[in-house]
Amino acid sequence: MRLRLLIALLVLPAATAVLAAPAGLTVTVKGAKGEPVADAVISLVPLDGASIPPPAAAGEIAQQDQEFTSYVTVVQAGARVVFPNRDTVQHHVYSLSKAKKFELPLYKPGQAESFVFDVAGLVSLGCNIHEWMAAYLVVVPTPYFAKTGAEGTASVAAPGGRYRLELWHPRLAASVTAEFTLAAGEAARREFTLTLKADKRPRRGGPAKSGGYR
Amino acid sequence: MLLLAGLIAAVQVSVYLLITRANENNARKHIEQNLNIGARIFHENLAERIDFLAGSAKVMSGDYAIKPLLMQDQVDRDTLRSTLLSYTKRVKAPVISLFSPEGELLAVTDEKLGPENVGPFRHLIKRAAADDMEQASGYSYLGDRLHVLVVVPLYAPYPNVGAWFGLAYPIDAAFANAIKGTTLLDVTFTSNPAEPDLRVLSTTLSPALAGEVARHTATARDAASGSEMLTLGGEPYVTLFESLDLLGEAPARIALQRSLTAELAPARELERIVLYISLAALAIATIAALWIARGVSQPLQQLADHTKRVAAGDYTRRIELPRADELGQLATAFNHMTAGLAERDRVRDLLGKVVSPEIATQLLRSDLQLGGEEREVTILFCDLRDFTALSEKLPPTEVLALLNRYLDRMSTIIEQHGGVIDKYIGDAIMALFGAPVAAPGAPERAIDAARDMARALDTLNREFVAEGRPVLAFGIGINTARVVAGNMGSKTRLNYTVIGDGVNLASRLEGLTKDPAYATPIIVSDATLRAMATRPPARELGEVKVKGKAEAVRIFALSAKGESRPPYHP
Repeated sequence: MRLRLLIALLVLPAATAVLAAPAGLTVTVKGAKGEPVADAVISLVPLDGASIPPPAAAGEIAQQDQEFTSYVTVVQAGARVVFPNRDTVQHHVYSLSKAKKFELPLYKPGQAESFVFDVAGLVSLGCNIHEWMAAYLVVVPTPYFAKTGAEGTASVAAPGGRYRLELWHPRLAASVTAEFTLAAGEAARREFTLTLKADKRPRRGGPAKSGGYR
Repeated sequence: MLLLAGLIAAVQVSVYLLITRANENNARKHIEQNLNIGARIFHENLAERIDFLAGSAKVMSGDYAIKPLLMQDQVDRDTLRSTLLSYTKRVKAPVISLFSPEGELLAVTDEKLGPENVGPFRHLIKRAAADDMEQASGYSYLGDRLHVLVVVPLYAPYPNVGAWFGLAYPIDAAFANAIKGTTLLDVTFTSNPAEPDLRVLSTTLSPALAGEVARHTATARDAASGSEMLTLGGEPYVTLFESLDLLGEAPARIALQRSLTAELAPARELERIVLYISLAALAIATIAALWIARGVSQPLQQLADHTKRVAAGDYTRRIELPRADELGQLATAFNHMTAGLAERDRVRDLLGKVVSPEIATQLLRSDLQLGGEEREVTILFCDLRDFTALSEKLPPTEVLALLNRYLDRMSTIIEQHGGVIDKYIGDAIMALFGAPVAAPGAPERAIDAARDMARALDTLNREFVAEGRPVLAFGIGINTARVVAGNMGSKTRLNYTVIGDGVNLASRLEGLTKDPAYATPIIVSDATLRAMATRPPARELGEVKVKGKAEAVRIFALSAKGESRPPYHP
C-alpha cells in the first residue's frame, strides 16, 4: 500500500509534464495564531498578455433564512450572478461599491434577479431591510480563482505561466499580491499567514435584552 | 457693668467676624467644588452632545433615502444637499455634511462651508478610517466659529464604509448659556492666548467682562493647579481655566467662573440677621444688667447708709427690704444685728449702773469665767457709825434718801480716785484699788480717796445740819494684800470680787475705828503704808491681833486733814 503511494507520487510529476496537463497551486491560509482561515480568496491573474477565457459559469448569491449564502462568493469579471430569494420574507439587496452600484428593491420570495458584473473589484452587498445581512462578491479578472474552506486550503488549476497572485479576505486591510510563476505541470504549494482585523461581521438582530443600556 | 457689656459686645463682634470669615472660606471652597463639578458636567455635556450627534448620524446613515442617491453613477450634489437639509430639523445639528469614503466633500448644509474649509472633518475621517472607528469626534474651528465635530460612517453594509457623515454643533453663546443653566457657572471660551488674534469665542458674561477674562488667559494657571481669584468689574470671581484641545490647532481656553458675591448672597443675608440679633441681644442684656444692678446696688447703698448710722450709735432705724433673695436675708440679719447692738448697749449701760464701769468693762471684755487671779489689791472698807440706830428714828424713805445721797457722794470720790466699788453692804462700801485693772499707786489713791471722803462727809454734814437732818459719821479701814480677784458665784450669776485674809483685815480695821481708844476714823495697815512710795505721816496705834491670824498687825491712824483726832469729835 505504502509502496504504491510512493510510486504514484514519483510517477505523477513526470506524467503531467509529459502530458502537458494543467498545473495547479494549492494555498494554505493561516491566521496569526496558526488557525486555518476560511473564506480567503486567491486568484491568479495571468501576466504577459496571456489570453483569458470568458467566464464559464454564473454565480449565485441566494437569500435564505435572512442570510446571504454564501458570505463570500467569487466570480470572473463578465459573469452573471443570480440573486434568488429563497426566503419567506422580502429582501432589498443593494451595493454602493464602485465596482457595481445596484439595488434590487423589495423583491418577493421566489424571484431571482441577476446582474452581469463587468468590472473587477469588490462588491459589498447588504440588505436595506435586514441590517445584519452582509456578503461579499469578489469579481476577479481571471478564471483561475478559488476560496479556502474551513480547513483553510484552496486549490487553483491553471496553465503554466507568470501570474499575479492575489489573496483577499474580508478581515484583511489590503489584498496580498505576489508575482508567481507556475511551471507547466507543477503542483505548487504556497502558505500564507495573515494578520486579520477583528471580526466585525454583523450579528443577527433580535429583541434587545435591555433597554439599550450597558 | 460697662465692663460686662463691653465683654459681651467683644464676644459678639468676634463671633460675627468669625462667621463672616468662615462663610467666605466656605463659599470659596463651595465654588471651587462647583467649578470642578461644573468642569465635569461641561465635559459630560459635550460628550453627550457628541453621542447625540453620533446617534443621529447613525440613524441617518440607515435612512434609505440617501442610498439611492449614492447609487447614482454621477452623484447629484444639489439633491444630496437638500436631503441633508431635510435632516437638520430632525438631528438638530446645524452643520451636516457628506463625504465619499475617500474623504471628498459631496454635500454640506452650511453655505459658508466648502471643500476648502472642512479640513477638520477630513482629519477626523482619516482617523476613523485608519482605526475602523464607528465614530470620531473633536473640536475645531469651522469657518471662524468653534464647533464640536463628529464623523460617522455610512455602512453599506457594516463594516463597509459607503460614505461619511460629518456633523457639527457650534460652541456658541447659546451653548455656553445651556451649560450655565445646569451648572450656574459663567463660561467663557477664548482662542489660544499664544495666537496673535486673541478672541472671545463665546461667553455667558458681558462683552466687557469677557474681554477681561480673555486678557487673563495668557497668564492663567492650568486647571490642574486649582482655581484662582479674578476681579472682574470690581467683583471677585473664583475662576478655573481649562484647555480645550482642537484638531490640529493650538488648544482653545475655557474659563469657568462663579461670582463670590453671588455665592455669598445667602450667607450675607444670614450674617445680617445674626448682626441684628446680636445687637438686639446686646441691648436687652445691657438693659437687664442695669435693671439688675439697680436692684442690687440700691439695697446695698441703703445697707451702707444704715451701717454708717449704726456706727454712729443710732440703733433706732430698721431697714425695710421686703425681698426673698439674699439681700433680703442680709437686711433681716442686719436688723437683727442692730437690735442686738442696741440690746448690748442697754445691758452695758445697766451694767455700768449696777457694777462699777471698770468691772463692767472687764466683764464685757473677757469671757466670763469662774475663778480668778491672785494680785495685790488695796481694799477700802467704809461703814457708817450707828446707822442702824439712826434708821430707826427716821422713816424708811428718808433713810434711803439719806443713804443714797451719802453713797452717791462717796462713790463719786472713790471712782474719781480710780477706785472700784466692789459692793454696797447695807450702809457699808467695799472699794478696790488695783483691781480689776492693775494700776500703779493704788495705796496712795486709796488713802487720798479716804481723806477726800472725810472732807466730803464734813461738807455733807454741813448740808444736813442746814437741812435740819441728823449728821453722819463713818469709819474707814484700808489694807493692802495679795488676794484672789475674779468672778465668783454660780454659772448663771456672778460677782466680781476679791476674797482673802487681806479683805477680812480691811474690814477689821474699819471695825477698829469704832474703838474710842484709837480716836481716829481711818485706820491703815502697815502693809498699805509700806506699799506706798513715800510714807505719809501716821500715828501708830500699836499692834493688833487679828482674829484667825497668828501674827499681830501694826496699825496706824491716818488723819483726814493731817490731824490725828477724829473730825466728828469736836
